[in-house]
Amino acid sequence: MIVPMSAYLILSIVLLGLGMLGVMRRRSPLLLLLSVELMLNAGNIALIGFSRMWDDPSGQVFALVVMVVAAAEVVIGLGLVVAVFRSRMNLDVDEMSSMTG
Amino acid sequence: MAEQITFAIAALGTVSFAIGVVFFKDAFRAAVSLIGTLLSVALLFIVLMAPFVAAIQVIVYASAIVVLFLFVIAYLGERDEVSGPDRLDPLAVFGWLALFGVGAFGTIAVLTSQFGPDSTPTTTQIGAPTSIGNAFLDQHIIAFEATSLILLVAAVGAVLLAKRAVQLEGGR
Amino acid sequence: MQTTFAWVILLLPLLGGISLAAWPGEPPRAVTRLIGVGSVVIAFLLALSIFGQMLMASPDQRTFTSSLYQWIDIGGISLDLSVLVDPLSVMMVLIITGVGMLIHVFSAEYMEHDRDYRRFFAQMNLFMFAMLLLVLAGNLFFLIVGWGLVGLASYLLIGFWYERPSAVAAAKKAFVMNVIGDAGLVLGALLILRSLGTLDYQEAFAKAPLLGLGSGTALAICLLLFVGAAAKSAQMPLHTWLPDAMEGPTPVSALIHAATMVTAGVYLIVRFHAFFEMSPLAGDIVAVVGAVTLIMAATVALQQVDIKRVLAWSTISQVGYMIMAAGLGAYSAAMFHLMTHAFFKAGLFLAAGIIIHALHDEQSLNKMGGLKKHLRVAYFGTAAGCLAIAGAPGFAGFFSKDDILASALSAGPVGVFSWVIGIVGAFLTAIYMFRLLFRAFWGPEPAGGYSPTPRPSRWWMAVPVTILGTLSIVGGWVQVPFGWTGISDWLAPVLADVRSPLEPSHTGEWITIGFSTAAALGGIAVAWYLFAQDPQRRSRLANVARGPRRVMGEAYLIDQAYDDVFVEPGRELGTVLRDTVEPRGPQGIITGTTALVRGGARLISASQTGLVRSYVFGIVAGLAVAGVVLALVVAGGS
Repeated sequence: MIVPMSAYLILSIVLLGLGMLGVMRRRSPLLLLLSVELMLNAGNIALIGFSRMWDDPSGQVFALVVMVVAAAEVVIGLGLVVAVFRSRMNLDVDEMSSMTG
Repeated sequence: MAEQITFAIAALGTVSFAIGVVFFKDAFRAAVSLIGTLLSVALLFIVLMAPFVAAIQVIVYASAIVVLFLFVIAYLGERDEVSGPDRLDPLAVFGWLALFGVGAFGTIAVLTSQFGPDSTPTTTQIGAPTSIGNAFLDQHIIAFEATSLILLVAAVGAVLLAKRAVQLEGGR
Repeated sequence: MQTTFAWVILLLPLLGGISLAAWPGEPPRAVTRLIGVGSVVIAFLLALSIFGQMLMASPDQRTFTSSLYQWIDIGGISLDLSVLVDPLSVMMVLIITGVGMLIHVFSAEYMEHDRDYRRFFAQMNLFMFAMLLLVLAGNLFFLIVGWGLVGLASYLLIGFWYERPSAVAAAKKAFVMNVIGDAGLVLGALLILRSLGTLDYQEAFAKAPLLGLGSGTALAICLLLFVGAAAKSAQMPLHTWLPDAMEGPTPVSALIHAATMVTAGVYLIVRFHAFFEMSPLAGDIVAVVGAVTLIMAATVALQQVDIKRVLAWSTISQVGYMIMAAGLGAYSAAMFHLMTHAFFKAGLFLAAGIIIHALHDEQSLNKMGGLKKHLRVAYFGTAAGCLAIAGAPGFAGFFSKDDILASALSAGPVGVFSWVIGIVGAFLTAIYMFRLLFRAFWGPEPAGGYSPTPRPSRWWMAVPVTILGTLSIVGGWVQVPFGWTGISDWLAPVLADVRSPLEPSHTGEWITIGFSTAAALGGIAVAWYLFAQDPQRRSRLANVARGPRRVMGEAYLIDQAYDDVFVEPGRELGTVLRDTVEPRGPQGIITGTTALVRGGARLISASQTGLVRSYVFGIVAGLAVAGVVLALVVAGGS
């Protein structure tokens, strides 16, 4: 690899941080899920990078699994968002705090 | 040389579009920014000699998943991000600090670590579908099966959620 | 044989009391009478039999001990459940069972209409057992057991009508003051145990001289024993419980607070004369206390309006005579007066009981008058008792009081002082007792007469009063100056170890007879002048010396003094503790712990906001912290 591994990792970290920022800041659950996707991608970058570094396909396999899981998660997450929207007509994560205490 | 330039373009794209995802108030624009991010990441994958994964990234992630998002955004109608009193305002400072801490940790860790074998082959076949297919069915068969199970669960869950949603709207 | 009888005498009232106490439901009155009164009657008969047997034996053959059971034997200290049957204890047993029997018979009718008939006799029998144990005990330990049980019985019987708050308060007061005495008594016992190693009477009395004449230990022992005696016998300053104890039924007052329990202190001192011989100073102190009590109580009795209170203060005064005598060393004189006092005081109380019963529970002299034509038996009993207590020549009290005072003259300067007090006291005694007699029985009836008319009493109540009245007349003839010395001869074996026995001198005897007769007759005359001749004279005198008389009437405000010194500060302390110390201290620890836990829980639950984003923040923050720590560790390591 001509571009050093550390570059990929720093990129991954930056993407992760942005994703966390998004999760912490966003009030709509929809956009919160988008930020989660960012974090997942950050992880994927690191995985593929390491796969290249060690010349082992396992990293890519793992990345594929992550993608599958992300897809499943999005399905369920969006289904929930739609269900919540139907009963409450507003989308504010802060309002969904009935599990307080 | 080409590799480095490509990497730079991809990296830049990733970060900028990611910023877009995080900071756009309009949901639609945020979703489209996500497409940008995902395509940049696919480019990165290609630089990293993982063409199959890059292809899957584009097909599954950038298409299917984002389309799902767009569906829901469209279904829910035009709505901007809710603006009201933010209940977590007091924690804002700490949030930034935490983020900074994570960043710092990561950076320090990366910079003070030594990476991998001294020589990496310049070309490799590990990114080819054959290699990945073999790995799935040979080494990681359990992960493969478990993943299929997750998909099944997700499908069933989706059906259930839809059913309940239909009932709420007065259907059968 | 004698000791077996002694054990049975102890056992009978105990069994009577227990069986009545444990009886399920209410037995028929006749059964209660049979058990309650019968046990005492049989005990008296057995006591008589012991007495008879002892009379037939020679004087030095009259002491018996019997030990039932060895209870403790540790480290050289051994205590048995033992009785000592000797002239002194038999004398006490005869008085207790004899007078007790008469009082039990009296109560059979007096308490007839009371709902708690069975409980009364159960508690009276318990008292009899306790008192008998006290006098029959062969060692100081079991005396203390009896002492404590007597205090308990007194508490139960004073508070017999427990629905009356005043009765309950009086019972508590009696008990608390008795406990003060108990403390002194126990300390004295411990001191004896420590210095002589034994509590058994015969051993301890033999070893008493080892303490050394006038030694501090002997003084301490005697004074501690006297504290106990003073509390039980209601001497100053522990006398305030006795007037209040009149809240109990009249038979109780007669038995416990006239004839027997209050004389326990005198018995104690006489029994322990071996120790008092070792400390003349203690004896003097005892005598002075007795004298002061005697005169103080006499002045208070003059002001009392409730018939039972007059008798109560009179008891305090007469016991003062006994204590004074015992302190001076005139032991047999003290016991003689104890006996005659039991006769006339019990008789007076029972006669008062007839009056109260007849007037449907009226006790105030202000509402009495002219009873001599209605209640003849009571009149006889009261008249005989008053003549005896005043010391009219020939009556029982004359001889016993005389014995005390004449012996006092031979007892040094303290004795002379006591003699003077005693004569003045006799004068006052005559006045207040005849005041009672004249105001209750002579003179006009109170306005409007008695309604309903006083109901006469049946033989149950009349006979005991008559017997006691008769004994008040003739009971003193067993010890006549210059003549028959029945009492001192009888007690001689017990008092054999007295170093220099107190004998009245001839001149002393004559002087005493003269002055005491003068005092008695003078007092009767004064009372007659003030109260009998012209009933209006009394109201004219009402304004004379009103201030001092009020103070006397209030018992010199001693009760109020106790209230100010002990009770109020105690209450204050309690309030302070309750309001300030307890919330901060013990309660504070408990509430503090719960507050701590609750606060901690609240603190922790603050993190359960239910907001997704805060949880995410938590995750990120945790990750940051962990990362930084890890980075530092790695950086430090490498």
